[in-house]
Amino acid sequence: MFPWNYGFQWNAGHIIFLGAFYSVLAAIAATVIAAARGSRRDLAANRAEEIGWREEFHDLPARDRVCRHALTGEIEHGECLHAFDCRQCETHARLTELRPLPWPVKPEEDLFGMAFPLDRFYHRGHAWAQPEPDGTVTVGLDDLGQRLLGVPDAVELPQPGARVETNGTAFRVHKRDANVRVLSPVDGEVVETGGADRGWYLKVKLEVFGEPEFRHLLRGAEVRPWLLQEMERLQLALSAEGAPTLADGGVPVADIAACYPTTDWDAVCGEMFLEP
Amino acid sequence: MDRQFIARGVSRCSTARFLVWMAAWAALLVFGLYAAGLCLVEGLNQTNMDNRFAFGLWIFLDLTVIALGAGAFFTGFLLYILKLDQMRAVINSAVVIGLVCYSGAVCVLAVDVGQPLRAWFTFLYPNVHSMLTEVTFCITCYLTVLVIEYVPILLRNRRLRQVPSFLVFEFELHKLVYVLAGVGTFLSFFHQGSLGGLYGVLRGRPFAFREGLAVWPSTFFLFILSAAAVGPSFILLTSWLVEKLSRKRLVRPEVLQLLGRISGLLLAVYVLAKSIDTLVWINRTSPETGFQAWQFYSWKPFGTWILFAEIGLFGLVPALILLAPKLRRRTGWLVSAAGMACLGVALNRFVMTVQTLALPTLSFDRFMEYTPSWQETGTFLAVVAYGVLVYSFSFRYLQLFPEERELKVQMPRTRKAHKLLRRAAATALLGRY
Repeated sequence: MFPWNYGFQWNAGHIIFLGAFYSVLAAIAATVIAAARGSRRDLAANRAEEIGWREEFHDLPARDRVCRHALTGEIEHGECLHAFDCRQCETHARLTELRPLPWPVKPEEDLFGMAFPLDRFYHRGHAWAQPEPDGTVTVGLDDLGQRLLGVPDAVELPQPGARVETNGTAFRVHKRDANVRVLSPVDGEVVETGGADRGWYLKVKLEVFGEPEFRHLLRGAEVRPWLLQEMERLQLALSAEGAPTLADGGVPVADIAACYPTTDWDAVCGEMFLEP
Repeated sequence: MDRQFIARGVSRCSTARFLVWMAAWAALLVFGLYAAGLCLVEGLNQTNMDNRFAFGLWIFLDLTVIALGAGAFFTGFLLYILKLDQMRAVINSAVVIGLVCYSGAVCVLAVDVGQPLRAWFTFLYPNVHSMLTEVTFCITCYLTVLVIEYVPILLRNRRLRQVPSFLVFEFELHKLVYVLAGVGTFLSFFHQGSLGGLYGVLRGRPFAFREGLAVWPSTFFLFILSAAAVGPSFILLTSWLVEKLSRKRLVRPEVLQLLGRISGLLLAVYVLAKSIDTLVWINRTSPETGFQAWQFYSWKPFGTWILFAEIGLFGLVPALILLAPKLRRRTGWLVSAAGMACLGVALNRFVMTVQTLALPTLSFDRFMEYTPSWQETGTFLAVVAYGVLVYSFSFRYLQLFPEERELKVQMPRTRKAHKLLRRAAATALLGRY
């Protein structure tokens, strides 16, 4: 079979068999080496956060990956293909060009009994971003997110100087058995953080030249349909954990977790904060 | 205690209960390892095999688990090559089953060979005339592929994925998984075939000898076809069994039905091919070797019933059930048919291994009887215990069924209600313009 075997003679059979065998071995080795090299490149380029989000997004149920334009009824069906980063989406660019979303006149909006001020942008993972006059952006947890976590047991904020990126981890919140990360709505450097006394927030200096981009975030009239879906998702998440929910109506209480002391809150928060 | 290692949103039994379950199987594994150890230390005299009856329970086990484990390559082929996206729901489970089957088979082969420390001889000084050479090469390569395919599943563990290097390696490896799926299909095709070819070339065993195409006897193709046919059935069966044992919905019924349909289709083709092959063997191959086919079935307990059971009861019947949409929709019928298909392939491997060797071929031969020794049975049970342990561990800590979390949630509203909601949302949006 091999040249070092007694009485070995090359023939077509040997060439075919050994050729196929070594090709297979080479393909297996090349795959592992390519994966290892790719990983090294990713780590060097600090892509771990981005990859983590892409994988988590892929793991989300199809109903949670719905395009923002499907939520508003602008398109019939649609699954987001860009992991909620509409800056890369041609459909989003086309639709916003066709029908630009006006900046809301009324600054405050009360939605389902919760405060969702319309002077800021919202991320689908329950964070908001508000541009400040000094050019920085304040990032915080929206009202539904706050009600889900109530008074957190602990919050892990990044140190000033740390870098956050869109759809990467902005900060982590611990509540009972839940340990969830809140997705950052913007890219930039953290310049200031706010503790429990001032409401948990980050101040981020954006890493952009020129006008900052927020088109990947929800705003104005898009917030209501999105929140409608979020309320439905919350009901589903609670019912999946065997927790009783109201069919419709009512207003979420300030500390939802307190009302469900025996529910797997980690599962509910994982669902709501898009961390499967 | 181990909650942080279990995927978010899925429920598993308590750690204590899990440990009790694992301890019971670990005890069986220890017993089996002791039996295997005896065979390795004392020699193959611990078995009831001899130079005349050299293939027994272990080879039967190897052939059967390798056929059942074909679900791994076939599901990968359907998902990554044919882009049958529904298979995503069971691919991880299929890989674990494949890994368990193939690694178990290789371990038993190491004991069966008797001198595992010289296993490398087969790679360096392979026997050019043996189909087993191809089997050895392909199984070793495919086991490597399965281990590599298992790595991303393992690295997706909730805790492990928090390590950035694991996360990115899993991501990069998963991007190339279609290469592994292709290689796995190629390797499986050949080693399943060569395992069948191994019997088909036995001129001295007219019961197994078959004619064929070029260097490949018909058993080469029949083994490939039967393995591809029962692989999906075994995935279906195990998924259903895990659902029952864990009392959870893990896979949508449509996916199980699709697996059943694919299995039924391939099984029907296999039954047809096997029937033709049997007729050719009865009317031509066997008489040419000096035996009438009925003579092989005159040795009790291997009467003609075994042939009809293999082709009819465990081949044609499950194929027809799996091909009937109405029956397929009923879980009882679906699972029973899948179970029968798996039993059919096990029976086929038993016939090829044990019946072939038991039958006399020379005038002075006698009908051989073989009953496995407790050491052989213990080693067999060790593989079963090992499989249960690996699968149980994987089911608890890894995401074997990606749709499990989703299936926990019952969608409360109808399609119509969804449409109304979208319309309301659109009105809410447009009303602001």
